[in-house]
Amino acid sequence: MNLVKGGFLLSLVSLALVGCGSEESSTNNGSSTGIEGDLSFYTSQPDEDAQKLVDAFTEKYPDVNVQTYRSGTEEVISKIKAEQKAGDVQADVLLVADSVTFEDLKEEDLLLKYKSEELSEIPSNLVDPDGMYAGTKVMATALVANTANVKEMPDSWNVLTDNSAKGKTIMPSPFYSGAAAYNLGVFTRNEPFGWDYFKSLKENEMTVTKGNGAVLQAVADGEKAYGMVVDFIVARAKAEGSPVELIYPKEGVPVITEPIGIMKDAENEEAAKAFVDFVLSEEGQELAAEIGYTPIRKGVDAPEGLQTIDEMNVIDADISELYQAKEEDKKEFETIFGQ
Amino acid sequence: MLQSFVHRVQQQNKWWFLMGALFVVIFFVVPIFRLVFLSFSSEGGLTFENYTSVLQDRSTWKTIENTLYVVVGSSIIAIILGIMTAWVVAYTNIRQKKLIQLFIFLPFIIPSYITTLAWTQFMSKNGFFAHLLSLLPGSLEPLNMYSLHGIIIVMGLSHYPLVYLLTVGVLRKIPRDLEYAARVSGASKWRSFKNITLPLALPGIASGGFLAFIASLDNFGIPAFLGIPGNIRVLSTYIYEQIVGLGPNSFERAATLSVILGFIALTGTFIQWLLLKKSKNNETAVEDKEPRFLFSKRKRLTIELLLWSFLLLTTMVPLISMLSASLIKAYGLPFAPENISLKNYQFVLLENQKAITSLKNSANLAIITTIFCLVIGTGIAYIRTKKPSILSKGLEMIIGIPYALPGTVLALAMIFAWMEPIPGWNPGIYGSIMILLIAYVTRFLILQVRGSITAFMQVDSSIEEAARVSGSNGFFKWKKVLLPLIIPGVISGALLVFLTALTELTVSSLLWSSGTETIGLVIFNFEQAGYSTYSTAFSCIVVLFILLAFFMLAILQKLWDRRVLHHDRTN
Repeated sequence: MNLVKGGFLLSLVSLALVGCGSEESSTNNGSSTGIEGDLSFYTSQPDEDAQKLVDAFTEKYPDVNVQTYRSGTEEVISKIKAEQKAGDVQADVLLVADSVTFEDLKEEDLLLKYKSEELSEIPSNLVDPDGMYAGTKVMATALVANTANVKEMPDSWNVLTDNSAKGKTIMPSPFYSGAAAYNLGVFTRNEPFGWDYFKSLKENEMTVTKGNGAVLQAVADGEKAYGMVVDFIVARAKAEGSPVELIYPKEGVPVITEPIGIMKDAENEEAAKAFVDFVLSEEGQELAAEIGYTPIRKGVDAPEGLQTIDEMNVIDADISELYQAKEEDKKEFETIFGQ
Repeated sequence: MLQSFVHRVQQQNKWWFLMGALFVVIFFVVPIFRLVFLSFSSEGGLTFENYTSVLQDRSTWKTIENTLYVVVGSSIIAIILGIMTAWVVAYTNIRQKKLIQLFIFLPFIIPSYITTLAWTQFMSKNGFFAHLLSLLPGSLEPLNMYSLHGIIIVMGLSHYPLVYLLTVGVLRKIPRDLEYAARVSGASKWRSFKNITLPLALPGIASGGFLAFIASLDNFGIPAFLGIPGNIRVLSTYIYEQIVGLGPNSFERAATLSVILGFIALTGTFIQWLLLKKSKNNETAVEDKEPRFLFSKRKRLTIELLLWSFLLLTTMVPLISMLSASLIKAYGLPFAPENISLKNYQFVLLENQKAITSLKNSANLAIITTIFCLVIGTGIAYIRTKKPSILSKGLEMIIGIPYALPGTVLALAMIFAWMEPIPGWNPGIYGSIMILLIAYVTRFLILQVRGSITAFMQVDSSIEEAARVSGSNGFFKWKKVLLPLIIPGVISGALLVFLTALTELTVSSLLWSSGTETIGLVIFNFEQAGYSTYSTAFSCIVVLFILLAFFMLAILQKLWDRRVLHHDRTN
């Protein structure tokens, strides 16, 4: 019984300690840029890439202390919404996969309007007209093929419905990947695809898996021959030596833009704006290209193996329509792919 | 004087009880209540709407049906495998028991996504198993793993160590004379097992089975990987879909489904209690590790061969696939000498600082969590076994729920409960490593409670009374009488807490903050970025790290045994 009391006291003491600990935060006066303090950055970028971005930013703004939280887009948004319900959103700046997700936050009035000066160099169709968020890079969903299994590289999305590829194709589930849900919305609203395309995919025994990573894995190890997948992870795997090839089909590709936005009740608005400016600036965009993404800013080159935004034939759809129809699209997808 | 003593003890007990109750309310009742409250709330206030809409949805019922299949099926597999392995290790004269024990544990340590991936490769149409089958007459085909059966089998294989661990100690404590007596009076081997051993071992089997039951309720990795291609949903994946779907009411729907899942978990608790009622009280005995069934060399070899082929299959299949993926230069290249390199290890160990930090963080977190659970959980287990009442039963029910809830839901409940414990006051727990610690203790306490209850159930209350009557005070009673008897069972619980906390992912993925990376998060991050070679390399390092810890523990245990044995002799 002594043990119960001991444990309980111990937990009380440690709670009290934490309570005190949180008060200490370093305030560094006398900064050169005038921008300082803590900045809470929530993102879905891979950890390494987020770290490089934050390092480059703090080199320029040494008095800003950036706290990063990284997870999958779905987890990041769930966290923000839970924080909202608990009383106070902790994030200042947010950078996650796709604009439909941002549209949802915009709808809930969680975002701050900010039109950065850098926006003049960003294609206007990839920026929210109301200034709530802006794209930061371009990620196309393209075709991946296994070079050991596929002799002649295709140039069209039709290969996925071709008899020769029966049972050998794979795609991410729109129920688990926000990017896949976006692609579904775009494909079904564009000729020559529509829902018929997805019906033929099902007839051709398309496998649906959890996410883009699983698609790449299945194609790389030869379990499948073709996959529908986001382009940059294919370029990375190919550069490492995996037996995969990236193809941009001639009908065009849907793109997501990893938009960035500022939360409405951001505690450090100045630093948040400086961060957004930095990400969209020439310097920030060159960094993105160096890490391995297609930059969104005009005039910055794409990394090797990837097309630039000018080279791509982009297919898209109205964002707010996509947002409104998202649940129905997923339901329709389920009736086609359900058994 | 005796009366005042009794009075004082009762008074003291009341205080302990209040303290315990307060702890449970703060750490368990509040978060669960927030969740239940959410399931009844809508923009217009309190409502049943979420329930009516969720229950009218046909896919909800299909999902519940699938969940029941998976949970019951995999628990049965886990229980059968667990009892069989525990019986062989506890009672027979096979060799290398320590090593066998280690192999039984491995499936529990290897991340479930690796196990799942390995089994699908093993069972694929051009995999190893298909080759094996093609050698046999007839046209047998390997099992399609993307099915309910696939999910049930992989889950059963992943959870049987839970049953094994809680049963093996119980079996060893059953006095051998009882069974001998039955055998001498003419009962067959099977009947003496059925009528004597099984009822006496029920505390362990029921505890382990219950843990396997709720572990499969919350398991997300296996049904996500195997269920999505086959369009099979279970509650944990369905709830995740609701949350990430970001629809209006997505949280409310997720909370509603979680309440339904909570009910299934409670049913499991009741079944467990029913089983425990049937268990027979045991005469107190210390663990008896001497074999009871001395098989002839030939028979022993057969059993050893069978056991080892099972162990090698269930642990080596995932282990080898993990190891070979980690040694390959780029994912998808054939496993040939020119493609093998250590560069993934080099990256993980030398170039990526987070991997090493995460090892330290996770080890610290797991150790502290284990200590907390050990102390609190054993205290609760003591109350539960020695003073069974409606309250203490309720206590056990509540503590089990956070382990059964999907990690994502528990993490959300933690944010609701701990960001501003009193509205408007944010003590900074959320956003520091404390929130992870609290979440881990909340989630894993049941593992320790079940482990310790199993241990206490085997201590006959007469022993404790004897100690008290002969004048032992509380401290002495614990140290000299209770502790030596319960230590093995308690340690089993602590081991489970430690291992699960060490590689925890789903809860951490929502609650971590800068500088508190854990092992699970680093693996998750590599996976998401498409670096599966790095993630497998890191997983190998983690498994190696755990194996090292095991060997150290084994050495410590040897020292401990020597001391206790020595001690026993001098007494």
